[in-house]
Amino acid sequence: MSLIDSIMAGFALVGNFNAFLSLAIGIVIGVVGGAIPGISATMAVALALPFTFPMQPINGILLLLGVYKGGIFGGSIPAILIKTPGTPASSATILDGHPMAERGEAGRALGMALWASCTADLISNLSLILFAGWLASFALNFGPPEFFALMLFSLTIIAGVSGDSLLRGALSALLGLLLATIGLDLVYGTNRFTFGDPNLMGGLNFIAVLIGLFAIPEVINMVWHPTGHIGKVQSLGSKWVTFADYRRSFKSIVRGSFIGVFLGSIPGIGAAPAAFLSYSEARRKSPNKANFGKGEIEGVAASEAGNNGVAGATLIPLLALGVPGDVITAIIIGAFMVHGLQPGPMMFVMNVDIIYGLFIGLILSSGLLLIVGSLAIRGFRPVADIPKRILMPGVLVLCIYGVFAVNNNIFDVGVMFAMGWVGFVMSRYHIPAAPFLIAFILGPLLEDNFRQAMLMSGGSPEILLRGPITWFFWALTTITVIAISRGTLNKARETG
Amino acid sequence: MSIRTIQVHLGIGACLVALFLILYGIPNWVSSPSNVRKIILSPLFWPYIIAGLTGLVGLGLIVFGRNPEDDDSPANEIIEDPRAGIARLAAMAVLMMITFWALPRIGMVWAAMGAFAALAFLVKTRHPKIALACAVFVPLVLYAFFAHVAGVAIPQGNYVRLP
Repeated sequence: MSLIDSIMAGFALVGNFNAFLSLAIGIVIGVVGGAIPGISATMAVALALPFTFPMQPINGILLLLGVYKGGIFGGSIPAILIKTPGTPASSATILDGHPMAERGEAGRALGMALWASCTADLISNLSLILFAGWLASFALNFGPPEFFALMLFSLTIIAGVSGDSLLRGALSALLGLLLATIGLDLVYGTNRFTFGDPNLMGGLNFIAVLIGLFAIPEVINMVWHPTGHIGKVQSLGSKWVTFADYRRSFKSIVRGSFIGVFLGSIPGIGAAPAAFLSYSEARRKSPNKANFGKGEIEGVAASEAGNNGVAGATLIPLLALGVPGDVITAIIIGAFMVHGLQPGPMMFVMNVDIIYGLFIGLILSSGLLLIVGSLAIRGFRPVADIPKRILMPGVLVLCIYGVFAVNNNIFDVGVMFAMGWVGFVMSRYHIPAAPFLIAFILGPLLEDNFRQAMLMSGGSPEILLRGPITWFFWALTTITVIAISRGTLNKARETG
Repeated sequence: MSIRTIQVHLGIGACLVALFLILYGIPNWVSSPSNVRKIILSPLFWPYIIAGLTGLVGLGLIVFGRNPEDDDSPANEIIEDPRAGIARLAAMAVLMMITFWALPRIGMVWAAMGAFAALAFLVKTRHPKIALACAVFVPLVLYAFFAHVAGVAIPQGNYVRLP
């Protein structure tokens, strides 16, 4: 079958009202699910899965992909409006999105989040179509030493989100790394800081930590100073994102999209590290570096481009190799199997019409996301106008339900409360929360890959430099550390 | 508290935490099999590295944290009555403990209603009637969504069960 034949076969599959409707419904479900803290894109996809069983395979899979893409964008809505990330992937969006909302520019931040998301989504989908085979074969070369080198490089992001003091950022990151060690040791299965409690054996729930660290301190802060918000504008505002804003952030959006594509094509990384790496790179390169963390629109654009860039790329290993790139694609692979499809190289031969149908549907989804997202922003407008002393109790209740819903575990609610106090103390002591979160995400990956590499080599550290991929990441890490050290020294010299 | 004081407090705190972890926490709360041949493969290795780095960062905060540019002005916004603020924080901690205790006993909906109302009054809302209405309405709507749409088994408690 020629390329044209394949594309036409794909069009025949998705060129009907049902396919289009499935995709649109999926995006709506995803945006709403992503916008409710605790539901997350993962849960929304899992909830939608059973509804796809009676559908045509292509329609069912398009619906799930719509939920996935909508969910990743939807997470940015509460992240910007109420500083509660709807999904882990949108935690980087808080850093500049919420300060913009506090300035009365929530509409502008949400608009930029939507434009950046759609652009990144389109780039990610095109990358999937163009580079599926090539990137998948590259990702196959990643073993534990390569992952370790990549994770180590990713940890240098911390310097970019540490704010005024690198040392306070490092302290925050170490606290995150320490809390990430809680649970059963993955190699020997022994207890680490579990105190014999079975609830701690699986480690601290990521969503509970995330919501506890970002949303609950806002509630506690309101209790500490109930009138502190008076005089600060918190509304959607009349200012909307302009084409000039978009053009100014375009480089960061494209860079973030490619970071998302690259990290998304490597199984197991996920959207949150991509968002933070994209944010950090945008900050490093931006002429408005000093405004990052204080409500810089380019920061919102970079974060959203990073996490949405992952959405299409996670399908690269899924379609090309049958390997799910993250939890969501692991659920989607289930949908393929239920419909008698086996993702992998043979699918490009046996079901090429479905492959091209999916490609066409994915391209359509970027446009649909723009329409649904615009409506969703207006739909969530009332949230920005709710009096803060009514909103905060609502946030508390929403967090309780959301955190419980992730694992059906009341213990997670306790973890969220405890982390809320940790976050509050951190904010009083000017310790940035973002490095904590990055380290909490990357810590287990870093340790597991390090120990797996050591097990492979019998304890010889030479394996960490075993090939060009590791050399590349070690070189990047070294250059970044030198740049950070020079920057810190220069700053110290300037201040006398 | 100025930024300078904060840096020094944090530095001392980090050093104390590192010492506690190295001398007591890790040896007692992290177990490792006796047959681990190399320390690098042991479950203890990573926590010790983190504790050591925490100590180093703590020392760094004490030594380098005294930025001469930082003045002694307060780093945080000052509130009118700090004692009342502390009392409210204590009340919030109690509210969280009661909510956590009540969740499995009276059910998430009723516990959330109580938490909403109590918090709204703790932060001295200017709209008490709306707050009370929301305290009833919001947990019920969330229950309806999570229990009947998302299929989550919301704790119902031992007394009043919802459909």
